[in-house]
Amino acid sequence: MIDERVMRVWAQVGKQTRGARVTVADICTAAVAGVGADGAGVTVTTRAAAREPVHATDRIAGELELWQSAHGQGPGVDACTTGGPVLAADLRSPGERTRWPEFTPAALGSGAQAVFALPMQVGAIRLGVVDLYRASPGPMSAYELADALAFTEAVALLLLDGSTGAPADTAELAWQRDDPSAHHAQVHQATGMLAARLGITAESAFARLRAHAFACGRPQGDVAHDVIEGGRATGVDLPRQAEITVGGADRCRAARLTPHDGGLPAEDRWS
Amino acid sequence: MSESLAESFVELADTLVDDFDLMEFLYRVTVTCSAVLGVAAAGVLLSDQRGALRVAAASSERSLELLQRQTGEGPSPECFRTGRPTVVADLAVAADHWPRFVTLARGSGFASVYALPMRLRTELIGVLTLFGTRPAALDPGTVQLGQALADMATIGLLQTRTIPHRETLVEQLQTAINSRIVIEQAKGVLAERHRLDMDGSFALLRDTARRHNRRLSELARAVVDGSAAVI
Repeated sequence: MIDERVMRVWAQVGKQTRGARVTVADICTAAVAGVGADGAGVTVTTRAAAREPVHATDRIAGELELWQSAHGQGPGVDACTTGGPVLAADLRSPGERTRWPEFTPAALGSGAQAVFALPMQVGAIRLGVVDLYRASPGPMSAYELADALAFTEAVALLLLDGSTGAPADTAELAWQRDDPSAHHAQVHQATGMLAARLGITAESAFARLRAHAFACGRPQGDVAHDVIEGGRATGVDLPRQAEITVGGADRCRAARLTPHDGGLPAEDRWS
Repeated sequence: MSESLAESFVELADTLVDDFDLMEFLYRVTVTCSAVLGVAAAGVLLSDQRGALRVAAASSERSLELLQRQTGEGPSPECFRTGRPTVVADLAVAADHWPRFVTLARGSGFASVYALPMRLRTELIGVLTLFGTRPAALDPGTVQLGQALADMATIGLLQTRTIPHRETLVEQLQTAINSRIVIEQAKGVLAERHRLDMDGSFALLRDTARRHNRRLSELARAVVDGSAAVI
């Protein structure tokens, strides 16, 4: 479904960037304004399960990331572990202190009373977490939460697409929102197939599939279909199937779904 | 209620215990629908909290593909919008209403559709969709039974509430939707590794999870991460 919410979220990001390349900072600033939060922090997780804070909109947001990394606990840590959102609407409640004995007092001391941690993930691919905070307690409305989820997806895709060296300009990110096939099961199936076929991580496989689709101006579902059918039809040299069908355009060649292309392995993502 | 029907419900309820496996449970609901309602296929769609429905379970790959193609139009989104069952006894006469969906559905060999709301008190959380291969109106008793199965699916989703700190519905829905993505990724890995089609790949995943007593989504994640040595 081409979702009005995603459109609105991107329009808000567009206001931040004014046509320049989109950064994580732009999306965070738009998210904070869009969902009535006081700040946002982004932490990425590496394969070695290390946490690396990459952005914070202000001092408090920065400290929240710091406390969580230092103590190994907090809503963002739990969101990464469980793979679901963790919404702590009132850190002053006794339950939250029991839950995170070191993080909670530290966060309150920094000036945050509510933290909403939203994991950046696509199935088994875990990229990290976006933590939104408020200086006063209270739950997010369903409407705010829906927007927060859309902003989080935007950050996740920006980081993922950046890993293939794709230019993260507004146009490219806008393309994602116009591709209803991006959510089709085949895209995820093809990700798994490519990962097994090329001996790469699911994250790299997914990033390559997206880069290939974008470079060729094709829906992700179509590229996924080629990957799946290619496996069935030939049994060998499977990645080339996708190449053949798109031939021609230089950008297509630049984003081949082969083991020899320029796609970075996941581990190099943040270097 | 016939004996086999009662057995089906008891079997479903039996899995609502410790070590509950939501993805396996939702899949079983769809298979039970096929078995007891006389429909060809079924699927569970969940609200992604952003206005769209995402597939959480499907009785077959064929129905999975069709379910996810109801972008904006189709019986499931309509049911989700209105909160009432959407019954299309004969897709042929609904072509004007949902031109794209009807073409796709008939192309997949389906002739009738029933979309039943999954409701938690006042909130709609998803849709249970049934597909028939013949034009036929389900009798009211069967529709009621279908609604009971939709309610079972809802109960299953709420069952995950027993996991500490996973209190809110949005957390549960988001986690369930992501679990389905993990399963699709794992199906892809296994399909490539064992030269299987997606139905075969899913069967292998389920079978292995059962034999090793592991949750479907956990095993799927291990398959994608490369840490599952068992398959």
